[in-house]
Amino acid sequence: MSASFGLQLSMQQVSKQYGKKTVLQGVQLDISPGEFVAVVGRSGCGKSTLLRLISGLEPPTAGEILVDHERISGIHPDIRVMFQESRLLPWLKVIDNVAIGLGKEERDKAVSALHRVGLETRARDWPSVLSGGQRQRVALARALASDPRMLLLDEPLGALDALTRIEMQQLIEEIWSIQKFTAMLVTHDVSEAIALADRVILIENGQIAFEVPVNLPRPRERDHHFVRLERLVLDKILKSHANGVSSQLPSSQWTLLPR
Amino acid sequence: MRKSLNAMLPFTVPALVVIVWQILGQSGLISTRILPTPVAVVEAGIQLGKQGILWQYIWSSTERALAGFLIGGSVGFVLGLLNGLYRISQRLTDTSIQMLRTIPHLALIPLVIVWFGVGEEAKIFLVALGSVFPIYVNTFFGIKSVDSDLIEMAKVYRLPWLKLFWKVILPGALPSILVGIRYALGVMWMTLIVAETISENSGIGYMAMNAEEFMQMNVVVLGIVLYALLGKISDWIATTMERRFLRWHPNYLSNH
Ligand SMILES: Nc1ncnc2c1ncn2[C@@H]1O[C@H](COP(=O)(O)OP(=O)(O)OP(=O)(O)O)[C@@H](O)[C@H]1O
Ligand SMILES: [Mg+2]
Repeated sequence: MSASFGLQLSMQQVSKQYGKKTVLQGVQLDISPGEFVAVVGRSGCGKSTLLRLISGLEPPTAGEILVDHERISGIHPDIRVMFQESRLLPWLKVIDNVAIGLGKEERDKAVSALHRVGLETRARDWPSVLSGGQRQRVALARALASDPRMLLLDEPLGALDALTRIEMQQLIEEIWSIQKFTAMLVTHDVSEAIALADRVILIENGQIAFEVPVNLPRPRERDHHFVRLERLVLDKILKSHANGVSSQLPSSQWTLLPR
Repeated sequence: MRKSLNAMLPFTVPALVVIVWQILGQSGLISTRILPTPVAVVEAGIQLGKQGILWQYIWSSTERALAGFLIGGSVGFVLGLLNGLYRISQRLTDTSIQMLRTIPHLALIPLVIVWFGVGEEAKIFLVALGSVFPIYVNTFFGIKSVDSDLIEMAKVYRLPWLKLFWKVILPGALPSILVGIRYALGVMWMTLIVAETISENSGIGYMAMNAEEFMQMNVVVLGIVLYALLGKISDWIATTMERRFLRWHPNYLSNH
């Protein structure tokens, strides 16, 4: 795959309102091809909304979303979304679920995607007999089957137990590092964000309140750098109107970009 | 052995009832003029079967029932689809259909006789009318209740409309549609029983009415038993369809 297989994303002064309620207000964000960005923030701050705008499921009220320098309209064929619930069709066998977005001649792609998530032996099973973690892996395979250039993940591991979560995190990181798509992960779990992302973004009051690059080598270990970064992001989320974070900033490993 | 005993268990009570009934009738405790014995009913069935008219009657009743069901079912299904899928269609027709639904269709018999006379059309019309609403309501509801998360997922995968319909909407609505079919089949026989009391020259209802005039109580009871059997068969067909089409459903999952 070429170096810039992933999509480049640019959001310019993007706002979203539902009726009178402003959810996002002038969001400015650039994501480079192949970058892995994690989005954190309090419940209801607009993380899912941000993802829905990028996926094209909903139009922004104002501003522009550019994908590879082109303004998106509707759903982009190279962007796939993975949700918190697997959203598998219960009446289709696992393999047919994975193949849902593919043409008739592309079934081998579904087989290979299922192989990548390690579930090739369950191809002929009904989704309802799978565990929650397995269902999410099938959903991941479905998202990967068409070789998307950008993957949006809306708390895909939120409902899984701790052990399955860690396995899934490793799987996602592994596949991402091979396929080099651009990834955007919404999560409640700060340590998940730091384990996976190149950059963590905090949304607050409809805006990107701060962002921090994670320059730790992969695969990441929970060393003191990791823990300090985790602490930092957590503090930021907890203090809803924090200011003067820069004073706590250890400058060597990462930089903070307060807005 | 144990398994077959277990399978027979539901039939022990009806079998017992039949046996007691037979004993009561034979011993004269119940007058056979009021209620013939089971053996007499079976004998009447065998005799009419040999003459061939029994099959002819069963067939003409079944034919009527199915014709009405197919017409009414199709109309209900198409209306349910349209109103479930298209908001304009729903706005236009749903309220009217719901209003018509509140009229008990059997109350229309006098009107139907005036419109269609006492022939086949009247009966088929009544059965069709009875089948329309259960199928309409359940198809409409089934489509409306398809998980919107799944439809959104389908959007992300950019499914073309036809594929969206076949792979997501219709299978999602199917459990409800099958409930409608099952219910409509029940209404179908019920309607037919009543409709066949309208002047008649064939069918199970005719057989029973005719026998009543000649006080052949065993044939009257035979007619009732036949209706029950036909009802049971169509219910069995409905459950078989459910098992076949809802194989994926956790309720029907078999262990292989
Ligand atoms: N379709 C909609 N109509 C009206 N309001 C909406 C709609 N979708 C979202 N909202 C509102 O927008 C706000 C942000 O919602 P969003 O789902 O993006 O939050 P979130 O950050 O993903 O929260 P969570 O972490 O709980 O998933 C919420 O206050 C929500 O009520
Ligand atoms: Mg959300």
